[in-house]
Amino acid sequence: MKLGDFGTSYTKLLDLANAGCAPEIVPTKDLPPDLTVDLATGHNGKRCASRYVNELIALARGGERLIARPDFLLLDCGSRDIKFVRMHGGRLKDMGWNAECGASMGFTIELLERYYNLDRQKMSVPTQTFSVTCGVLGMSDIFDAVIAGVPVAEAVARFVRGIAINAHRFAGEPDLLYLSGGLCDHPVFIRSFPCEVVPLGRFVLLNGLAAIATREKPQTS
Amino acid sequence: MAGQQEIPWQRIRKAGIVGVPPRAVIGALNAHGVEIHDLDEPLVRANLATATPFLPTVYCAILRTAVVNALHCQLDAVFIDIGPGKCDAARYTAQILAQQLTIPVITTENTDRERLGNPISESGLPLVEKLQRITAGVRVAEPPADPPPFVAPTASFWGVPPRDFAILELFPATTHVHGWTRCMENKTPADHELEMVVNTEVPTVFFAQSFCAKTALARHLAKRHPHGLYLDVDAHTTASAKAKIQAFLELSGATL
Repeated sequence: MKLGDFGTSYTKLLDLANAGCAPEIVPTKDLPPDLTVDLATGHNGKRCASRYVNELIALARGGERLIARPDFLLLDCGSRDIKFVRMHGGRLKDMGWNAECGASMGFTIELLERYYNLDRQKMSVPTQTFSVTCGVLGMSDIFDAVIAGVPVAEAVARFVRGIAINAHRFAGEPDLLYLSGGLCDHPVFIRSFPCEVVPLGRFVLLNGLAAIATREKPQTS
Repeated sequence: MAGQQEIPWQRIRKAGIVGVPPRAVIGALNAHGVEIHDLDEPLVRANLATATPFLPTVYCAILRTAVVNALHCQLDAVFIDIGPGKCDAARYTAQILAQQLTIPVITTENTDRERLGNPISESGLPLVEKLQRITAGVRVAEPPADPPPFVAPTASFWGVPPRDFAILELFPATTHVHGWTRCMENKTPADHELEMVVNTEVPTVFFAQSFCAKTALARHLAKRHPHGLYLDVDAHTTASAKAKIQAFLELSGATL
């Protein structure tokens, strides 16, 4: 069975028939137009699959599979949005999906790093931060800071830190959060959270699809 | 009841209502054979932006809809409730409409206390049909003669009737109705005690229109509920709002 997490910037693909193979990551803009999978999630997933699972359900099921604890808060920071599920005693306690006001922050980070040719592995965690509510508004802060003489890497790092603080607040300010999504490999982002962070990588939703496909949990459509 | 305004019944054939005017007023409209239009519901194709000269863009979508309807429907009068069962926003909207329209804008204050029951709210009808019946019931003074039978709930919808009923399609038919919609069916829109009633045994979506004062109550009740989800939606249901409801109900085991 072929699974696909069709994100805004990247699509993650996995074929359950090829046990042991790592998932494939493809820029969504480079996907073949006729690509189809059996089970999909993500913004672009509905048109590519016979069966679609909404992202919050895929996130929750993925968290159950990977974390294997009855209580957890799992935050997914994607290219376009941020969303979280909080489970308590094995049951859903709270959730949120910020697709409008918190929009495009992951996408904006990647855009800025490419534009300014920055290596995220070499960036330092800044002491200051921007109050970031969305990617577009955050960019104005960066440009203003650069004009005021702040080094570009420092300005972008302040933006990244602002996103982490905003995401932490959006998730209800937990002491411990599990993190999902492409920003798991961003050291400044991880270290900017004012709490303990356990990065789970970018295949959490794919794991959720796998859990649903193998009927570890009830199916959805 | 209606305030001190004199009502020119002989000139009113077609009236719009906003909110839930008192039963005595609805009864009088029914008795005079007046055609009643519920201005809280989208009745015309005109864009919501046509309300912008009169109300801010960031304002309750229900009241913006009421203004658009009042501007485009050929009405002889508007009855708008501004009592404790409605809100300050409706009070100000009534003032604005009274200055903009050439027809009478009659304000009422519904303080009806006689409870007429909630058979529709506790029935097994699809949630969309439940709310269609409840909102249609505003146009008549008497409760329906053929109440549907009770079903045990697996979920609850708390709140006002949304401007966009699309979110209601996601709920199972075993969803009970609470909040102000329940007060509407009961014909006691100012019954805040009834509005606060929740069922803690089933997953509950606490809904309010964006920019409505009830967002505070909905969020507060959702936080206190053992299994509640707070949700506010403006004029149209977004994909993320639909996904939240779908995920909440599925992960709670309360799906269709």
